Amino acid sequence: MTAPPLLALELRKDYPMNGETVHALRGVSLRVDRGDYVAIAGPSGSGKSTLLQLLGGIDTPSAGTVEILGTRLDTLSDGELTRLRLTRLGFIFQRFHLLPVLTARENVELPMAEAGVRRGERHARARELLDYVGLGHRTGHRATQLSGGEMQRVAIARALANRPAVLLADEPTGELDAATGQGILALFQRLNADGTTLVVVTHDDRLAAEAGRVVHMLDGVIRD
Amino acid sequence: MTRCRLIAFALTAAIPGRTDAQLPAVAVERRLAQELSLQVGDTVRLGTAPDSMRTLATVAAVYEPRPDPAEITKDERHVRLHLPDLAAMLGAPDRVDRFGIALVPGTSVDSAVAALQQNAFGYQVYASSAIAAQSSQTFLVVSRFHRAIAIITIVASAVFLLCIMLLKVEERRMDAAVMRFVGVRRRTIFGALLLEAALVAVVGSIAGTGLALIAGAATNAYYRRFFDTALTFSRITPDIVLFSVALSLALGLAAGAAAAWRLVHTRPMVLWGRG
Amino acid sequence: MTGITWGFKSLARQPLRTALSLAGIAVAAAMLLDMVMLSGGIDKSFSDLLLRRGFQMRLTPKGTLPFDTEATMAGASGIVAALRRDPAVAAAGAVLGTSLYGRTGDSLVTLFGYGIEPEAQSLYQLTAGLDLTPADTGGVLLSEPAARLLGASVGDTVTLVGRLDPQVVTAAVGRSLVVRGMVRWIYDYRGQPSVGTVLPVMQRLARQATDRASLILVKAGDDAAVPALADRVRRQFPQVEVNSVADLVAHFRERLVYFRQLSYILGSMSLVVTVLLIATLLTITVNERLGEIATLRAIGVSRATVVGQVFAEGTALTVVGAALGILLGLVTARRLDAILTSFPGLPAAFSFFVPRADTLTFAALVLLGTGALAGLYPAWLASRAPIAATLRAEAT
Repeated sequence: MTAPPLLALELRKDYPMNGETVHALRGVSLRVDRGDYVAIAGPSGSGKSTLLQLLGGIDTPSAGTVEILGTRLDTLSDGELTRLRLTRLGFIFQRFHLLPVLTARENVELPMAEAGVRRGERHARARELLDYVGLGHRTGHRATQLSGGEMQRVAIARALANRPAVLLADEPTGELDAATGQGILALFQRLNADGTTLVVVTHDDRLAAEAGRVVHMLDGVIRD
Repeated sequence: MTRCRLIAFALTAAIPGRTDAQLPAVAVERRLAQELSLQVGDTVRLGTAPDSMRTLATVAAVYEPRPDPAEITKDERHVRLHLPDLAAMLGAPDRVDRFGIALVPGTSVDSAVAALQQNAFGYQVYASSAIAAQSSQTFLVVSRFHRAIAIITIVASAVFLLCIMLLKVEERRMDAAVMRFVGVRRRTIFGALLLEAALVAVVGSIAGTGLALIAGAATNAYYRRFFDTALTFSRITPDIVLFSVALSLALGLAAGAAAAWRLVHTRPMVLWGRG
Repeated sequence: MTGITWGFKSLARQPLRTALSLAGIAVAAAMLLDMVMLSGGIDKSFSDLLLRRGFQMRLTPKGTLPFDTEATMAGASGIVAALRRDPAVAAAGAVLGTSLYGRTGDSLVTLFGYGIEPEAQSLYQLTAGLDLTPADTGGVLLSEPAARLLGASVGDTVTLVGRLDPQVVTAAVGRSLVVRGMVRWIYDYRGQPSVGTVLPVMQRLARQATDRASLILVKAGDDAAVPALADRVRRQFPQVEVNSVADLVAHFRERLVYFRQLSYILGSMSLVVTVLLIATLLTITVNERLGEIATLRAIGVSRATVVGQVFAEGTALTVVGAALGILLGLVTARRLDAILTSFPGLPAAFSFFVPRADTLTFAALVLLGTGALAGLYPAWLASRAPIAATLRAEAT
């Protein structure tokens, strides 16, 4: 039996703030299987983003474990963890976080270049991905020349560059208007239909409604 | 014999001249006396060539020559003899290189020079001030060089200052955007940034002045030891301090003002990153 | 896309900031280049001057440097003859330098006279007319300033006088000579009015007794033989000062030690300014882009790549700034050289700032190294950017 793409057990995360300890997560467990489309919903401060960051290995839990495809993150060095994020995960952020000096194509190629993919192959895959997200006609535009929705699409294409096992998205429609956000939702649906495993943090009810499973969080715990 | 060039000045009869029973008297400069371990009363042998050291003389005095910036880089040592003794040693009685002339008080130097020059044959007449001007040409060149270096340094500093001010002010662009959003006037933001720049300029000027004083003292200490001289190589006068402080304040304020002006005249949404 | 390309693109993002930084680096680089040229230029220029005609050794009166004093050596012809017999010597010639006068109408003008042996000299280059022959006791060579003072040109007759007697208001020694040629005296300062005759003529015009010389020039057949030849000559003639070109350069360097030290100090300051400027710019840039850096790390870009990007940006700044600085430095060097070469008494052919390929290369390499060093702290900052905390801060 193959290991699930994501498995989190009894995650806790505490961090100091202004002399006090904030308990962002208080024992959260979550399993995401291949092909799942999971929405993590909840009010601000419920620990959604913290959970996503722990699942993605960009933060370390105070207690508990995270496994990605059977590999425990706490057993990996920083370099190994970075490599795992590069090849097994894809991140989409609320504020897109594209590199403004690069074109859309170059932003998408960035993770592939880091993974050592040859130039020709990078070019081809970047074009393919940008076509997939509907931006085949904007490959040469710099990020600053794109609209919010277009930037988010480029970010999605970038996240798909190295064929990740799981896409992690943190409030992907948070900076977008309703119509543009709807476009992103449709893209997520398409991705999931094509077999991509998605974990999306959101307080957008429409997006939550589109997911196959919704996990509600409140005060650092799952309330389902 | 140590390798040094013998240059003799003839004193004008302050010390009694030679009698047949006495050796010629010689005054030796301090550095030479130290190098040759000479003291007053020692006997030395003088000559105008290494293979003709025939003249014996008695060290009558050890003196410290007046510091001369034109001489410090030359590895020369000086002695002084009475004019007749030197002339005899050179085998050229009644020959001199120059005359020094002191005029009766009230006499015009220029007219004296002109009168003597009119009758001159085989010599030139100069006012002492003209010789001083001529011999200070070297230092005028050094001054010009220093001034050119100073200008380059000031330009570099100004560019550096402007760049740093721009960077520091731009770091605060989000704060400036928020202030503009909530209604703070451009003038207020500009004034705050300018005040900050002024404080930095004042503190920097004071620190720079302190550094300069230290560097000047270190320069004098080093070169006085290096050249074994009492000359002053670096002199920081109140005028120099005033000029430097004024310039650094002006440059600092100008750089701060330019950076602040640019910031407050950028649209808030652009500062915010959404424009 | 390479890191350096990324670096250039990042710099282009903030054109004013980048332009100012480049200007600062260019000025610092120009100063560094000038100081590197100055530190080596004095030696190189003087050495080239001395070796222009290939004479590697100079003999002067004991304890003196060439034409530093009015001292002369006795028995010059004997010394020259002995030198010419040495198998290592290709040529040797004596020179007498003295003050004398030229008659123009009823007045006299002051000149500097060189008594030379034309078959073995390194003091002048012929610019017009003919050179003197060794037996030419009726000819004279003039520099341009001397020709102007005397109002003479090639073919004219001039009268040179020496040993003026003020008491009887006559010249004890005078001689009419025909101008054979115009020359440029290599060691003359600008505007120096110099004349040249064969050595015996100048010896008679001067106040010196015969067979005295100010300087003896020696050319060795092989450069490698010069040190041994110098030692031999020193032992054979202990009454004279023997200096190879290296010795003379060392003496000259001592005279101008201030400029050498100044070049080190100002050069070091330029490097410090460059380091400060690049380090400050990159540090502020990294701080501004911490969110971007955190994102890169989050999507799997390694620390090494992030650090490399910071270094690339610093390198891009340094490369462009250094290139601009080298051009600016060459311009400012000409201006500074024009100031310093106006020193009174300095040979007109001398330069303080000598641009050479090795000098430019050295300055460029030092700058590149400095730029790399300057990127260390900001690169360290970038590598330490906490991903989660930064992303949280960016979201607020």
